[in-house]
Amino acid sequence: MPHNKIPSTGRYVNSGSGPTIQPIDIGHPHYVGLVDADTAFWSLVRRDSLSDVLRDSALLTSYMRKRESFRKEMHRLRFGLKPSAVYFNITERCNLNCRYCYIPGDMRRNGKHMSEDKVIEALRTLKQYFNKTIDRKLVPKIIFHGAEPLLNKKALFTAIEKFGKDFTFGVQTNTVLLDAETVAFLKSKKVSIGISLDGPTAGIVNKTRASWSGEGVFEHVMKAMELLRSYDAWSVICTVTTENMRSLPGFVNFLHKNEVPTCLLNVVRCTLPSARKIKPDDAVVARHFIDALETSYKLYKESGRKLVVGNFANILISILAPTARRLMCDISPCGGGRSFFALAPSGDIFPCSEFIGLKHFKGGNIFKDSVKDILKSGPFKLVTERKVEDIEPCRRCAIRHFCGSPCPAEAYEMNGGMNKTGSFCGFYEEQARYALRLIADNKHTAFLWDGWDRGTKEIFNVI
Amino acid sequence: MENSKKSNKGETKINKSDIIASRKTCSADGTGLSHYVLMDKKTK
Repeated sequence: MPHNKIPSTGRYVNSGSGPTIQPIDIGHPHYVGLVDADTAFWSLVRRDSLSDVLRDSALLTSYMRKRESFRKEMHRLRFGLKPSAVYFNITERCNLNCRYCYIPGDMRRNGKHMSEDKVIEALRTLKQYFNKTIDRKLVPKIIFHGAEPLLNKKALFTAIEKFGKDFTFGVQTNTVLLDAETVAFLKSKKVSIGISLDGPTAGIVNKTRASWSGEGVFEHVMKAMELLRSYDAWSVICTVTTENMRSLPGFVNFLHKNEVPTCLLNVVRCTLPSARKIKPDDAVVARHFIDALETSYKLYKESGRKLVVGNFANILISILAPTARRLMCDISPCGGGRSFFALAPSGDIFPCSEFIGLKHFKGGNIFKDSVKDILKSGPFKLVTERKVEDIEPCRRCAIRHFCGSPCPAEAYEMNGGMNKTGSFCGFYEEQARYALRLIADNKHTAFLWDGWDRGTKEIFNVI
Repeated sequence: MENSKKSNKGETKINKSDIIASRKTCSADGTGLSHYVLMDKKTK
């Protein structure tokens, strides 16, 4: 009679049904990494103890007791989440023509606003959907995003007034229309505010971020930063390209001096061809990025005040507490279409804003179709079913669950398919190695928000 | 330097200082994209 029992005790590492533990050089003088990629288990072992640890150590015995629970935890995180956030574009238009924008230029220049009535109708539908699907203790999130949401300010204000108890709101803006009155309103409603800025000087910023007539935005951003100083729910988002990567350490100095609590230094998404012209080389951008992180560490040690680089903090957290991560690009499947989705001004719904402009990724329309059906649509499945196990070389990469091979839009549009990597494999490798070096040197908490682990429980510890 | 010896259970016992490994867990509610507003949990 056939049976499925695997004839292996699972006792040995890297054979039979034992764990696949990959050693990785993290560039540390004393420690080497050991990773079971499937469960995102990691440990750092002194180089001269490596063979003893792999033989039959207490570390691996302890891990084997936890292995199944770690595997289940990763499975829940990767396949068990329900959407709890929507990126809501209330206008197609933008008053800027940034070189790397993933929204087509014609749409940004000549597009339409969503009417106030339609914004309200859409939020009512989303409220009903979330009431049925997510835990009552969780408040769903709506992030007004661009194009430039403040171009449709009246609808935005009405929405926040009307649905303040139903959603947590955020606004991402280029700051051109972010005046004192707008800031006062958003602060009074405790709305998170993200502003876009790519460098510490007008000369750098205006190379990539300018109006249709070529006027730069640096002065607008400086005024906005002054208005936001002392507010605790704002951040600066920088898109890293060939044009500004060398200035990243100086930029971190600038942001810290201006008391910015959090920034994101996101390498440019290469979904559309225009962005690929300013795509940096992986190794070069990694060097400047890590220099910037080192600068943030030095500033913290000197001043006692942190400037958290949020996208890197997220990678650290993906190692230390996988389920506590806040950003969902760096995991596979990514958050697109499964923990959030994007709503365009026409009512069309896409797995992520990155796909707005790519009509074949439209899952349906909020005014015509049910959200439930849209989430199960073919275009959504293309994204939600993309996983590192199906991608070469990710399926044998030790850091595949610290990276996630982002982004599916890039993989599809730039590299030829969902089973391809995203644009910046090498950059993620360097970030994961740096994160593990910081843990080895016990410096990592300096790079994380205070209280980052509030609400977490320790389930493994060998230090 | 001798770093390890056999324990009573036959496992290779490594000096604790030779190993760093930890993991924390919580209920997962990750929602954010890398190029959007970072939703700070203390906002609400």
